[in-house]
Amino acid sequence: MTGQAAGGHEMDATSGLSPGTADAGGPEPLLELVAARAAYGPIEVLHGVDLKVEAGSVLALLGPNGGGKSTTMKVCAGLLPLTGGDLRFAGRRVNGISAQDAARLGVCSIPEGRGIFANLSVRENLWVATGTGARMEEMEEAAYSRFPILGKRRNQLAGSMSGGEQQMLALSRALGSNPAVLLLDELSMGLAPMIVTQMYDTVAQLVAEGLSILVAEQFARAVLPIADTAALMLHGRVVSVGRPDEIEEQLSSSYLGG
Amino acid sequence: MTTFLTFTILGLVLGAVYAIAASGLVLTYNTSGIFNFAHGAQAMLGAFLYWQLAYGWGWPVWLALVVVLGVVGPAMGGLLHALIMKGLRDTADVTKIVVTVAVLLGMVYLSQWIWHPEEARIVEMFFGSNAKVEFSGVVIRVHEIICLVVAAAIAIGLRLLFTRSRVGVVMRGAVDDPDLLRLNGHNPERVAALSWMMGSTLAVLAGILITPIGGGALQANALTLLVIDAFAAAMFGRLRSIPRTFAGAIVLGMTATYVMAYFPSAWTWTSNFRISLPMIILFVVLIVLPQERLRGAAIRTRERYRVPTVRRAAVWGVALVAVVYLLKLLMVETSVSTFALGMTFAIIALSLTVLTGYAGELNLAPLSFGAVATIVVFHFGVVGTGLAARLDVWGVLLAVLVTAVVGGLVALPALRLRGLYLALATLAFGVFLSNMVLRDTTEHTVFGVTFSLFPNGSLIIPPLRIGPLDLRDGDTFLMTATVLFALIGVGLIALRNSGYGRRLAAMKDSPAASAMLGQNLVKLKLSVFMISAAIAGLGSVLMSSAIGSVASENFNVMAGLALLMLTVAAGIGYVSGALFGGLMSGVGFVIIVATFNDLAAANPDLAPVYQAIGSLSVVSTALLGIGVGKSPSGTVHDVVESYRSLRDARPVLVGGAVLEAALYGLTLAGIMDNWWFAILTACLVMMLPVFGRMVMARVAPDEGRPAPHRTPPELVGVDEPYTEELRRELDRELGLSGHDRGPTPGGRRPVRSGAEEGNVHVVA
Repeated sequence: MTGQAAGGHEMDATSGLSPGTADAGGPEPLLELVAARAAYGPIEVLHGVDLKVEAGSVLALLGPNGGGKSTTMKVCAGLLPLTGGDLRFAGRRVNGISAQDAARLGVCSIPEGRGIFANLSVRENLWVATGTGARMEEMEEAAYSRFPILGKRRNQLAGSMSGGEQQMLALSRALGSNPAVLLLDELSMGLAPMIVTQMYDTVAQLVAEGLSILVAEQFARAVLPIADTAALMLHGRVVSVGRPDEIEEQLSSSYLGG
Repeated sequence: MTTFLTFTILGLVLGAVYAIAASGLVLTYNTSGIFNFAHGAQAMLGAFLYWQLAYGWGWPVWLALVVVLGVVGPAMGGLLHALIMKGLRDTADVTKIVVTVAVLLGMVYLSQWIWHPEEARIVEMFFGSNAKVEFSGVVIRVHEIICLVVAAAIAIGLRLLFTRSRVGVVMRGAVDDPDLLRLNGHNPERVAALSWMMGSTLAVLAGILITPIGGGALQANALTLLVIDAFAAAMFGRLRSIPRTFAGAIVLGMTATYVMAYFPSAWTWTSNFRISLPMIILFVVLIVLPQERLRGAAIRTRERYRVPTVRRAAVWGVALVAVVYLLKLLMVETSVSTFALGMTFAIIALSLTVLTGYAGELNLAPLSFGAVATIVVFHFGVVGTGLAARLDVWGVLLAVLVTAVVGGLVALPALRLRGLYLALATLAFGVFLSNMVLRDTTEHTVFGVTFSLFPNGSLIIPPLRIGPLDLRDGDTFLMTATVLFALIGVGLIALRNSGYGRRLAAMKDSPAASAMLGQNLVKLKLSVFMISAAIAGLGSVLMSSAIGSVASENFNVMAGLALLMLTVAAGIGYVSGALFGGLMSGVGFVIIVATFNDLAAANPDLAPVYQAIGSLSVVSTALLGIGVGKSPSGTVHDVVESYRSLRDARPVLVGGAVLEAALYGLTLAGIMDNWWFAILTACLVMMLPVFGRMVMARVAPDEGRPAPHRTPPELVGVDEPYTEELRRELDRELGLSGHDRGPTPGGRRPVRSGAEEGNVHVVA
């Protein structure tokens, strides 16, 4: 994997992603998929996806189950290789990049479900999260100041906490590691509505700080207020991109199979 | 009091070494999810290398230690990870177990090749066995102090590593979710490699320390099994907790020494009991410890097996009998009896097909169940004496029945165990049986009946006679064994195609889902264990009578592991896999080694070369098993898949058959040598698919078969119009048989069960 990556992208792993540093002309999107195809074994699930996450903007990826949202997130995080098309970070082609290299370049991905290690304590989870280069003190400071409950539970096993607390811990990784792009997959899954609101408040704060975010969500109402752009995915394709309110209208018809 | 203290210290020392070995095991299991059966073999190999450097070549002890612990240990672990273990992600438990077992066997064979087993090698204690310290009457050797200190240092070191260093914490995270580690910027492969290096070094260290304690003599098998005793210690910590592993190791060491000290030496079984104690403890710990809950999600693995129909299986069964008959005509008498022995192994291998291939349960000691049958048949099934002695069919049936019951009894406490834990429980049973029962040569008196289980250390098992059918004749034996194999094989396929077989498959794929559907998993497991044990029993009775005189070595755990490994390599989900696996492990390698030895004897100039090739081919057995990691469905599956493309190439198949018949004719007429026949047949079998594809490509380039449909099925009707032809194609893909009757909305159509995955495509 890493070998392929070295051939495929010219970006050196230490430079990182930073908005507006693209070499060619105007500002390049921080994260871009061009006609991306991806497959699980012989079954292709993304049939040519085009997406752009502009620097400092929030793109919401909406659509029903099985549309390819999570697969798109995996491709962006480097967990699933492309079978066609391109993945670009800040204008540079990084096809075949490994997930750990993507993470070190500043792509912070919070996967579906809880992105935590259940058998490690809260503090140890944060420690593992410093693998992208963050300092442990900053990581703890960021996590505990935003979510004081985590500070109280720092020595508790992460798996023994409530779903909301686990998701807070997962989100803390984004708070403390100062990423360039944040990938959020189904942040609301399995959480009480109140917790979802609290999660998205935190995300909104990150947006206000200028973080670029790609967020996949079935629960559209939570994410639309913070999104600059929305894209509707159906059957492994992006069928339309536009203002969040426009997409929301199409969304209901897509659920009804229209 | 002094005796007590002395034995306590001895127990502590033994426990300390167990702890070192077990902690290495826990380390690799936790970062890679692989339970390393080869751990003992790594310890053994390290100890042999240390002997070679320090004694063979006379290096200073410190230098030998630096090289073995600093270079060889880590390198061995790193290589194992990079070449083999890395490829085992997403494979079933059985694949992981078989691959590490293959490494174990390979290392044992390798050591026996390099260091001839009949030469005596002694590893002495550090600073000699006379270097000792005395505390108020209790004498402790310096070597023992070193063991204790090293174990304590390792305990503290590992504790610090796992809690106080980031790399240690990352290691603990690796087994939970390697992908999440990647997202955090870590490389899980690097973490796993590091843990394999450390685990391997700990194994080597344990090997060097334990050898002098166990008497100092280096013996490959014994040393390997000695470290396997550490499995019990690791199980105390449920393969997770290092501190509890250490506690378990101490308990284990102390119990063993106390048994030695305080059990009356007049009891003949005391020493056998002491040897098997770790396995008894392993069995008990496995059963007593709380188990993981049933996991909800289906277990996704890379293994795939097709299930043939009963009719097709019957055709193949008849074909097998015919082929064996034709081959028999070519063979001399000794070859026929060797072949017959192989066929009995194949029957034993069938017990693994149903248990592991169909039901996904593991049994690492198939031959141990066979030993039970052999003992029963020896005591109750022999009629007549001397040359007229025969096995009685009722005796054989009784043996099979008893074995089934024993299978059930072993499985009963182990029913709540799954996967690796069950495998370890059967291993414990197997080792226990070899140590306690098969070495039990003394006489017992129970209810006034005096008997001994294994008199003189070997049992004479005469051939079977059923009415006019007398198996003393080699030809009859071979054909009977073949027919039996075919019958049981077809029977198993019928079983697999029945509702019971589908329930087994469902249990294998997802125990939780199967339980939720109202299956009684306990009943299923128990019954399949009994069926499997019965088949193993029948096969073993035949095997024993084919050998004539069996000793405990014929049933030892290593032989059983080799059988399992070769069956999995050939394809555990297939009856044909059992055939090839059984033949290979039963006689294949014996033949190969004998052939090369003959060649060596015939050509004294080239003798070393031939002997080297012979040894190499034995070591390469292990490569077969390691290959399982690459193609977990087995060789038979790959061959079947390659022949699948030939179904439309009748001329090629017919041509191949004619060619083969011609080869056979030439051989039968004595014009061609048997060896040439074997070699040419092998070439033909391998070349046919390649040749077929070439011919097909030339005769009908891309014709005859519709071009694969480009539009993904879920987009049909969205991206392109939904035509009648597409609908028929979809119906065919989904196995809906009503496709020629036109749409019947809401109507019930016969739908094939998903469990028959492999059959979906053959629905007409």
